[in-house]
Amino acid sequence: MTDLTKGPGSPEPLPAVDGAPAASHMLDVDDIEVRYGAIRALKGVSFHVDQGEIVALLGANGAGKTTTQKTVSGMMRPSLGSITYEGQRIDGIPAHSLINLGICHVPEGRHVFPRMTVDENLEMGAFRFKRQDMDVRAHVLDLFPRLQERIKQQAGTLSGGEQQMLAIGRALMGKPRLLLLDEPSMGLAPLIVAQIFDIIRQVNADGVTVLLVEQNAAQALALANRGYVLETGEIVMSGAGKDLLADDRIRAAYLGEEIAAS
Amino acid sequence: MNPALAFLRSDSGKRLGACLGLGVALALMTGATGRQDDYLYAIKEDLFTFHLIENLLIGVVVWLLFTFWPVIRRYLTRPGALGLLAGAMTVIVAQTVLGWYEPEDAKFSGLATLVGDTNGISALSSAFFGWLAWAQLIAVIVVGAAALVLRNRALFWVGAAMAVAAAIIASQAHKKVDELAGVVDHATGVTVAVWGYLTIAVALAIAAISTDDVARTREFVNAVLGWRPGFALGAAATALALYSLGVSSWFAPKSLNATLADVHSLFKGTSLAPIAVQYFIWLSWALVIVAGALVLVAAYFRSIILGIVGAAAAAVGLVITMISIHAITSLAANSENTYATKGPWQNLGDGAWWTCASFLALAAAGLVVAQSALKGRSATAADAAHDPSAGPRFLYAPGATLAVLGAAAAAAIFIPPTLEPSWQTALVTSIGIYMFLAIGLNVVVGWAGLLDLGFIAFYAIGAYTTAYLVGSLPVKPPFELPVLWAIPFAIAVCLIAGVILGFPTLRLRGDYLAIVTLGFGEIVRLVAVNSNGITNGPRGTEDQVPHPVINLGFVKFTFGLDQLPYWYLLLAVMVIVIIFFRRLENSRTGRAWAAIREDEVAAQAAGINPVKYKLLAFAIGASTSGIAGVLFATNVGFFNPDNFKFEFSILVLAYVVFGGMGSLPGAIAGAAVLTWLPEFLRDQVPSEDRQMYIGAVLVIMMIFRPAGLIPAKRRATELRGHGPDSAESQAVPAGGGLGGSYA
Repeated sequence: MTDLTKGPGSPEPLPAVDGAPAASHMLDVDDIEVRYGAIRALKGVSFHVDQGEIVALLGANGAGKTTTQKTVSGMMRPSLGSITYEGQRIDGIPAHSLINLGICHVPEGRHVFPRMTVDENLEMGAFRFKRQDMDVRAHVLDLFPRLQERIKQQAGTLSGGEQQMLAIGRALMGKPRLLLLDEPSMGLAPLIVAQIFDIIRQVNADGVTVLLVEQNAAQALALANRGYVLETGEIVMSGAGKDLLADDRIRAAYLGEEIAAS
Repeated sequence: MNPALAFLRSDSGKRLGACLGLGVALALMTGATGRQDDYLYAIKEDLFTFHLIENLLIGVVVWLLFTFWPVIRRYLTRPGALGLLAGAMTVIVAQTVLGWYEPEDAKFSGLATLVGDTNGISALSSAFFGWLAWAQLIAVIVVGAAALVLRNRALFWVGAAMAVAAAIIASQAHKKVDELAGVVDHATGVTVAVWGYLTIAVALAIAAISTDDVARTREFVNAVLGWRPGFALGAAATALALYSLGVSSWFAPKSLNATLADVHSLFKGTSLAPIAVQYFIWLSWALVIVAGALVLVAAYFRSIILGIVGAAAAAVGLVITMISIHAITSLAANSENTYATKGPWQNLGDGAWWTCASFLALAAAGLVVAQSALKGRSATAADAAHDPSAGPRFLYAPGATLAVLGAAAAAAIFIPPTLEPSWQTALVTSIGIYMFLAIGLNVVVGWAGLLDLGFIAFYAIGAYTTAYLVGSLPVKPPFELPVLWAIPFAIAVCLIAGVILGFPTLRLRGDYLAIVTLGFGEIVRLVAVNSNGITNGPRGTEDQVPHPVINLGFVKFTFGLDQLPYWYLLLAVMVIVIIFFRRLENSRTGRAWAAIREDEVAAQAAGINPVKYKLLAFAIGASTSGIAGVLFATNVGFFNPDNFKFEFSILVLAYVVFGGMGSLPGAIAGAAVLTWLPEFLRDQVPSEDRQMYIGAVLVIMMIFRPAGLIPAKRRATELRGHGPDSAESQAVPAGGGLGGSYA
């Protein structure tokens, strides 16, 4: 199987070390604050992502998940704090330049190019290269056999799940080392969500680090090595995926379980 | 409830009301012209006469069509039905709207009155203009419709034969009138009517041999073109050439209409070059027959070598034809006792130019043969139809694109000389220039998806830059340049202007960007109006912008008032621009534009810098418009800020949308049709009404063909759908159309 991480000059994947010193983190978000005018959407958020991990950012509507994700992907600028990627400050670098550093981002809401075919969408994902890498393309189509079936179809005519697959596949065409996924499960049937999460696991197994922003806490935490919980612009909890999944407060807030009995 | 009231309240009743309202509107549209001494005159004439009843009847017919649409539709989809309908409409339009007799400026009814008042007119003409014209039309329609309903093969052939007869009767009746009056008549009515009848004849003949239940026009056209690539074009070109040699006029100064044979006797005993003498005796026929036969045989056997030889023969024919017609016209220009004194290439009849066009088309056909044989495309049109990548293209037959290009080139080069001077002016100053502007705006609106309502500003900047550089403005340049040298400067200045406008505004989207560009357009015009010291204000350019001079050392050509050379200049520059844009569309840049237009967030995620590419689109569009500005300035000589009013920006946008946003051939066709239409209507309807008809065409077009005349590939699939799963997709999906592309 092709190694997706083999970008030009990319370092060998490091083993994930929990709690390692900041210098070895792949992505280090340090105390960022983001404002929409007078409103402080993020009030000093800090977290980190290590090479090879899947990290989940959880939170209810309005907690600041997407704002965090947009800030990391360069669509927004933090007013305070810093974001460091492989030792380089990336806050303020515009979104379209980040991909050249190996950060690829799948925006919320399945942004495919609706009037381009699946094929053309994938080709656009490799826009940063002069020509697309056919090995990567073959690998992506292996991951998503559904896309191979619909290769000549216009993306706008695909189902929601297929569009999400296409959006992820397109991002992979840019050979990312860090993949930012914003709510990949949004509006999809449980079966499709399970499929997509499976694929995320596979992508990660190929060596791509994943930062996953999700509302679907149960499945995200089952998948993630570590998780952070955002509430009204602050990180209120963090820990290994399994631990968070077992936490009563998480179960109460995101899984809707009655804890009254305890 | 009262049953009448109940009917009026039903959907059907409301629809009838609307249709009758439409009838009243139509009556007002087409009615009498107002008078200054009686303000209500036009309304009285329109609404209290038989005129209203006629139009109300049209309303009723429309209502019946709506009401019985499911039934009618079944028949309309049968082979031949649309052709019959289109032909009949064409004849009706010809006999109601178009002019039929130029000297008196008369329409059909006017000429009918004239004929009725004239004694000694031939029986055929008096019958035709008396009653036969409408009677034969109704007869053809009735027979054709009966054949469609009964699906009777014999009846189809009868209808087709009747249509041919009707065409012959119409042209003969009109010709007799002209002969009796002894005038040269360029009225379009009869020609259009003949074409209408011929359309009916072809449609009915095709229906007669068709075995399908439902017409498959696209498949049919492609089957014809794809049967033997190049054959259809070659056959048409040969037929046109033979017609031109046999019948058409070749040399036509005032009150002379010399055919090919007449030219020979006319120039007998003069010092005409021997090759031209031979040409007018037999060489022309020989060339046409040899080249035509070679191309057709090559096409039939799909032979590469024969195709190339045929193309070469046609090229030789073209050269010899041009040498010969140049010989007779320059001889005529230099001799003293002829009617023609204007110079070489003047006073030629249609036949001479049509023959040139035929040779060029034949050469193209030969190349089509060679190209498709070379490609080894033994696949038939039917196979090509299954190729999904062919998608919604109308012409998918092998070689069809090249054939269409060849025919278009032949028409673009050799048809303009046959036009009236007024049409040549229109061709250059409105059709050609606006085609250019539409090509430029298509980059901005169609490809990058930016709504620009001030596009004409760049045109103005191009024109004023030219005027400055040649020293026609109050401010003088450090050194004056020949006018064509202004082109690179105009491109550069417009490029910079585009970036200056774009840089601060491209962060805006959709409506906001539109308003800013609108403001920019007005600012440029108002600056031109108000800076007297620089632009000479509303009075326009101080001195004439000189006409271009092309001096290549061995050839020197000076442009003058004759519009034809400007057309060729325009055509040459346009071809360069089109080739460049064609490459651009399929380049990395073109794909980046498509991505930004479709989804800006996703485009950014894919690593596309939206600001950079939007700026590039703005700059490229602006510089195209700058070239148009140079050509405009040097053509008209004098211009003022009124030439760059806001409405022209809107018109150019309308051309692009009408032609098909994002489609290069669409933008060209849209501009050509919508600039041709007002010129055409100039002679046919009261001048105040022209805009109304153009508006009506736009509205009808946007209802029935919202993707435009020649839709861009992507937008066409959006509207047509893509196979079985598209049945549920909407006509315009969310995010489609103008608004959505920016939102």
